Amino acid sequence: MAEKAQVKKYLQESHDKIFENNRKWADAQSAKDPQFFEELSKGQSPNYLWIGCADSRIPAEAITGLGPGEMFIHRNIANLVCNVDLNAMSVVEYAVSHLKVKHIIVCGHYGCGGVKAAMTPQDLGILNPWLRNIRDVYRLHEKELDTLEGEAKYDRLVELNVLEQCRNVMKTAAVQKCFAENEFPVVHGWVFGFKDGLLKDLKFDHAATLKDIQKIYNLTS
Amino acid sequence: MTDVLDHILTGNRHYRNQTLTHDPTFFDTLSKGQSPSVLWIGCADSRIPETTICASQPGELFVHRNIANCVHAGDINAASVVEYAVTHLKVKKVVVCGHTSCGGAVASLGDAELGEVLDSWLHPVRELRRKHKSELDALPDDNARAVRVAELNVRQSIEVLRRHPAVRRAASDRGLTVHGLIYDLGLGELRVLEESGKGKGNGLWSPN
Ligand SMILES: [Zn+2]
Ligand SMILES: [Zn+2]
Repeated sequence: MAEKAQVKKYLQESHDKIFENNRKWADAQSAKDPQFFEELSKGQSPNYLWIGCADSRIPAEAITGLGPGEMFIHRNIANLVCNVDLNAMSVVEYAVSHLKVKHIIVCGHYGCGGVKAAMTPQDLGILNPWLRNIRDVYRLHEKELDTLEGEAKYDRLVELNVLEQCRNVMKTAAVQKCFAENEFPVVHGWVFGFKDGLLKDLKFDHAATLKDIQKIYNLTS
Repeated sequence: MTDVLDHILTGNRHYRNQTLTHDPTFFDTLSKGQSPSVLWIGCADSRIPETTICASQPGELFVHRNIANCVHAGDINAASVVEYAVTHLKVKKVVVCGHTSCGGAVASLGDAELGEVLDSWLHPVRELRRKHKSELDALPDDNARAVRVAELNVRQSIEVLRRHPAVRRAASDRGLTVHGLIYDLGLGELRVLEESGKGKGNGLWSPN
């Protein structure tokens, strides 16, 4: 019983902390700029769409130094963009066709639990179909990955997964059509490293990839 | 166009330097793993960066964000996030956060075509609007209606979450709780959704 009461107390405290912090943050913003929230409530016109991992250690805006209103965000397990997933697809459609973002960033990270789980020979229930997409990335790049071992292999799979998801973003009608008309959005593949806290640009070649995939996936007409 | 991109990469270097000045071992500690206590399900909207508005630290909130913070039954994307966060990371709370002036909620007040994918995604939210027509009609304007739809949608998402096998198990085994929040964009403030009649009187809205 005592333990149960303690758990309850802890839950209440961690819950209260969020509200306390939020109040402090809101007060500080208003003090700096009394119109801050009023302006925000009028609308958003972010330049970026960020597709990242749900991992708690990578809050997109914090690690890029962006403020509220600057980046539209989708986060899921292992930053995947699957073509039959309405959830991610509706984010891409809204960001590209309605908000007209200029850049789409797919950001993975080294030490990704989702990528590790995908490569674990184990039945993970409802996670199986989701993580299968990562196994498929492995199969696509089997030759290269099989020359590597241990951490190096995982790190490379994280990078290749990001690059494949960049390709998946480009396979959408929304991105292809908008790009044909406006020359944006441009797609980028990045990886966040905990060792140094830095973003690594994988130098995803937007123009070359577009040409390459449109041989089969052209949806512009 | 590269300027816009440089903006974030410069921001990242700044963040990293600031963080390391504060705590030289910060990233080293982070690289060892995560044990967030909260799963945050929020809107993709750029104006609600969860970590900033809650003044949280990296490592505290596991995050899923999509159009209008929906948890639809049968959505494998959100279901995977819930399963991973609840069963594997053992978060203590799941929070669904809607907000005022939500583009998804506003779009759900009508049936204007937004594109096939978006229309499919928002279908359940538009259904909610139809179901609560008389209540919504009685409200003074579309702003108020959109806020109400956002609230109803948070509740709906919580109902779906409650039926998720992992959530059900964790709720009875270790006291996992599910909460609904609304973020008021005009004030920068979070408020708890109270369910009429079922409020527990402790400021927490918990459907369990
Ligand atoms: Zn990850
Ligand atoms: Zn929204």
